[in-house]
Amino acid sequence: MKRLFILFLLVILMIATIIVWSYSYQLSHEEAYVPVSNISETFIIPSEEGVFERSKYALEYAEMPLDKNHQRSLDSYYSNRAFYGAPPSIPHEVEERNMGANSCLKCHENGGYVSKYKAYSPVTPHPEKINCRQCHVPKKSNDLFVGTNWSRTKGSTIGNKALISSPPVIPHQIQLRENCLSCHAGPSAPKEIRTTHPNRINCRQCHVINDKKIKDIGIFKREKK
Amino acid sequence: MMKKITSRREFLKKMAATSAMTAAAALFPGIVFAEEQIRNIRTSGNLEWKKAPCRFCGVGCGVLIGIENGKAVAVKGDPNSSVNKGLCCVKGYHQTICMYAKDRLTKPLVKKNGKYVETSMEEALDLVASKMKETIEKHGKDSVAMYTSGQSTIPEGYVASKFMKGAIGTNNLDCNARLCMASAVTGFLTTFGADEPMGCYEDIDHADVFITWGNNMAEMHPVLFSRMLDQRLKRGATIIDFATRTTRSSMASDRSILFNPQTDLAVANAIAYEIINNGWVNNQFIKEHCNFSKGLTNIGYGTEDKFKFKDEPTKIDFEQYKEFLNDYSPEKVSELSGVSIKDIKYLAAIYGDPNKKVVSFWCMGMNQHTRGTWINNLVYNIHLLTGKISQPGNGPFSLTGQPSACGTAREVGTFTHKLPHGVVMNKKHREHAAKIWKVPVERIPSKPTYHATEMFRALDRGDIKFIWTQVTNPMVSLPKVGRYTEGAKKEDRFIVVSDVFPTPTTDVADVILPAAWHIEKNGMFGNSERRTQYWDKMVDPPGEAMPDAWQTIEVARRMGYGELFPYSKEKHEEEIYNEYRQHHEGKKHNMAPLEVLKAQSGAMWPFVDGKETKWRYNVKYDPACDNGKDFHFYGKKDGKAIIWQRPYEAPAESPDEEYPFWLNTGRVIEHWHTGSMTRRIPVLHQAMPHSYVELHPDDAEKYSISNGQKVKVISRRGTTILPASVNERGLPTKGQVFVPFFDENMMINDVTLDAFCPISKEPDYKKCAVKIEKV
Amino acid sequence: MPIKSYLAHPCDGKYQQLLSDLSNITGCDIIPSENEEIAIVVTDTKDEFEDQKLQVKINSIKSLKMLSMVSGFDTNQQ
Repeated sequence: MKRLFILFLLVILMIATIIVWSYSYQLSHEEAYVPVSNISETFIIPSEEGVFERSKYALEYAEMPLDKNHQRSLDSYYSNRAFYGAPPSIPHEVEERNMGANSCLKCHENGGYVSKYKAYSPVTPHPEKINCRQCHVPKKSNDLFVGTNWSRTKGSTIGNKALISSPPVIPHQIQLRENCLSCHAGPSAPKEIRTTHPNRINCRQCHVINDKKIKDIGIFKREKK
Repeated sequence: MMKKITSRREFLKKMAATSAMTAAAALFPGIVFAEEQIRNIRTSGNLEWKKAPCRFCGVGCGVLIGIENGKAVAVKGDPNSSVNKGLCCVKGYHQTICMYAKDRLTKPLVKKNGKYVETSMEEALDLVASKMKETIEKHGKDSVAMYTSGQSTIPEGYVASKFMKGAIGTNNLDCNARLCMASAVTGFLTTFGADEPMGCYEDIDHADVFITWGNNMAEMHPVLFSRMLDQRLKRGATIIDFATRTTRSSMASDRSILFNPQTDLAVANAIAYEIINNGWVNNQFIKEHCNFSKGLTNIGYGTEDKFKFKDEPTKIDFEQYKEFLNDYSPEKVSELSGVSIKDIKYLAAIYGDPNKKVVSFWCMGMNQHTRGTWINNLVYNIHLLTGKISQPGNGPFSLTGQPSACGTAREVGTFTHKLPHGVVMNKKHREHAAKIWKVPVERIPSKPTYHATEMFRALDRGDIKFIWTQVTNPMVSLPKVGRYTEGAKKEDRFIVVSDVFPTPTTDVADVILPAAWHIEKNGMFGNSERRTQYWDKMVDPPGEAMPDAWQTIEVARRMGYGELFPYSKEKHEEEIYNEYRQHHEGKKHNMAPLEVLKAQSGAMWPFVDGKETKWRYNVKYDPACDNGKDFHFYGKKDGKAIIWQRPYEAPAESPDEEYPFWLNTGRVIEHWHTGSMTRRIPVLHQAMPHSYVELHPDDAEKYSISNGQKVKVISRRGTTILPASVNERGLPTKGQVFVPFFDENMMINDVTLDAFCPISKEPDYKKCAVKIEKV
Repeated sequence: MPIKSYLAHPCDGKYQQLLSDLSNITGCDIIPSENEEIAIVVTDTKDEFEDQKLQVKINSIKSLKMLSMVSGFDTNQQ
């Protein structure tokens, strides 16, 4: 009897081995396949997305207290820009090694008071562009190599309402300035352009672009057919 | 906010006031001192602020117009208006500038030997009246027609209706609201039996989730969208954008879900399927308040002349409806619509969650649709199945496009089949109108004649020989407009156009009558939330420009119908409104008296016992409910709304090999409709000088088209050339292009197709097939 | 020249009465609230004596329940 039992056990084991082995052999024949996913490279309508970007802070902007002693004015804003629309030069010392990225963004992505310069750090409207030093350079000396006849013309900025009660138009290009709140709200905003209503986040509902591209396009005239 | 502080004392007084305001705000959060918004405007001292509703979209913001020395010099939002609470959009802020355009029409022009000759208003009106009389004598009553507008004021629409139906006795009256809201109207009538939304804008302050179905609210109803954004910021509400392309609204919303054109029908049914199969149906609500019906299918597209269709509803029950929906499971719909199964279930879960208050908003995406009535029905189905209707923050809200499509076109009834109360087909309604109009009831014809598209087809064929358009620009806004422009120019057609500016429609006119603009006349508008708003005349119209209502009255008097129009020139709008109110008496539709409209910023109807009915059909808020239950859909005889079984059907023209792109048309925030007003406002013109065609970057690359390059858009009907816009204001999907229609020099309606929803007769401007070529 | 600002609370149901009473008094600006029953009063007087007289006058209005001062400035300081 005992012999029969042991034989029976061995047969079961044999069958099990065959089953398990052939199952794993079958599985091993499955082809390795990683599906190819198409990642779209396009940014989706940056001019429309940017205006809503800092909008989740809009209520905080509305409740921020005004620090009259440390606010900038348009004069100080323009003092480190060569002309209307130019990228500002860096008014403080910077590390030479890097291109910008985090070492600039750590202060300029969200702003804040910097006691070393007794000022509020301006917030960049284009934090996604991390090669900062491509456009923004520090001022290392005060003298000129050779004299120049170039002097800067005043740009048109404030005072551009159509009617006395109209919302002012946007006199600058939107590219690189998609995010309105970064320059027009908060303690680092120049006081003449700081908005009274940062919590209304759909800015382009009332303020439209009137950046006269190359020359003034004038008024609408019907085309003669 | 740069008020000149004249002295230290002024400054200190301002500081004192400000600190008091802060203290008050601490005691009463949300307190409003309206004065402070008014204080800082520099004026010459002579400035007077008068209230009016905005001239543009269907939101109906309250504005204050600053009048100084007889000129409109400023516009700001009315802080006392509950619609916009002092906020406007860029068009609203600059609206009065268009009045002073250099090419404004000031004298009537009559075409003589191919040239326009200036005449006096008396002569021009004489000519119009005599020509109309002559045409009726020679060819019969149905050879004359009037085409008014959802931007006409209530008096203008009322006298047009009384003139055509009560005086002359023809139903040849239709309006451009046929091109924008007809499907919404038939959606309401088939589901509820009564037109116009049951909720109001206050829903925005209570809802947890906003779902927009195919409309770009950030540009088209901007002030409402700002209210929604405000709620998101303060209460954590969610905004979901469900559309065919990526727009400003998609960027602002929490989620953007894209679907293939026309498949909204399938997705809506899939959502209903999910709701039923997950047990989220409010069974109590359905049993007590809903019936089930189905209509005909394969109903055609109306592209042929004299297309006729009448739906035949049959009653079904819940089990048959459930059986029908088995074809619309998310798995089956996902491939057709391009919406992932996860997203369909996500939307269904939002509707199905009894603790979430959901408001669905829609406008032209669902209305300008060859199955517009059906898709309106289907969204109502979702709200009826879950019982989310007629409650604060919970319900479907069909937004209106034009400022008075509700107030004038739908409520006064300037459609071929409508009367101020009811329809021409119903004898009791004809008797009701005849009594108030004091005309014999036999004069009002009982058969509707032509809807807008068919009316202009009839003009082309010669069945209509005389047409008078007011406050609209059909030669830019009709679909397949090339045919209708040519038709209007044919011999033996007499076209009279009342407008403020020269447009492509005045270019085909035989008589051009200069019209008064908005604040140059008294008037009333009715906005999307059933709010009627009144405004006083604020400035005089230039030259001989005259309000359209008075033009109609003068012509009617010259044709011998003087006793029907016994109004005075100074107060005709008031007198007309008081007569008009009589048509709507009763708890279901009573209009507020004029004194109420003058005193406050408008009043919603039904205005019963001095109170506005904010949520209709709900016994808690609506005194017209009298069936003893908690909801009474009194538009239908048995008080129950209908859940309609509607299938998915393909669009009239889909892309194929020869014409591989979808063409979608629409608007941008800077321009209103055909741009005749907004392009004459320098700020808006310079912000958006011309039209464009939006392309997906991959498509642009395939055709080697770069941003700004000229592209030819070609369809089987016509072609137009536009500069390309790649990844700027909006992003269509691959295989889709989008063109805004405000530019009369880049007429995209030469390219569109005049297919329409057979039930509502509203054309589908959002889908046809085109091909593009680099120029 | 004292400049003071107050919050004026009306007796129940007497808000409109309070507004008209306050507007009859010279020397104070009223800023009523649109959605709550409270008004801001800003007073501007020549000297302390006038200021006291004005305060007494305002406090004697029957429809006024409570007048709470929020801020005060004396512009006489140079």
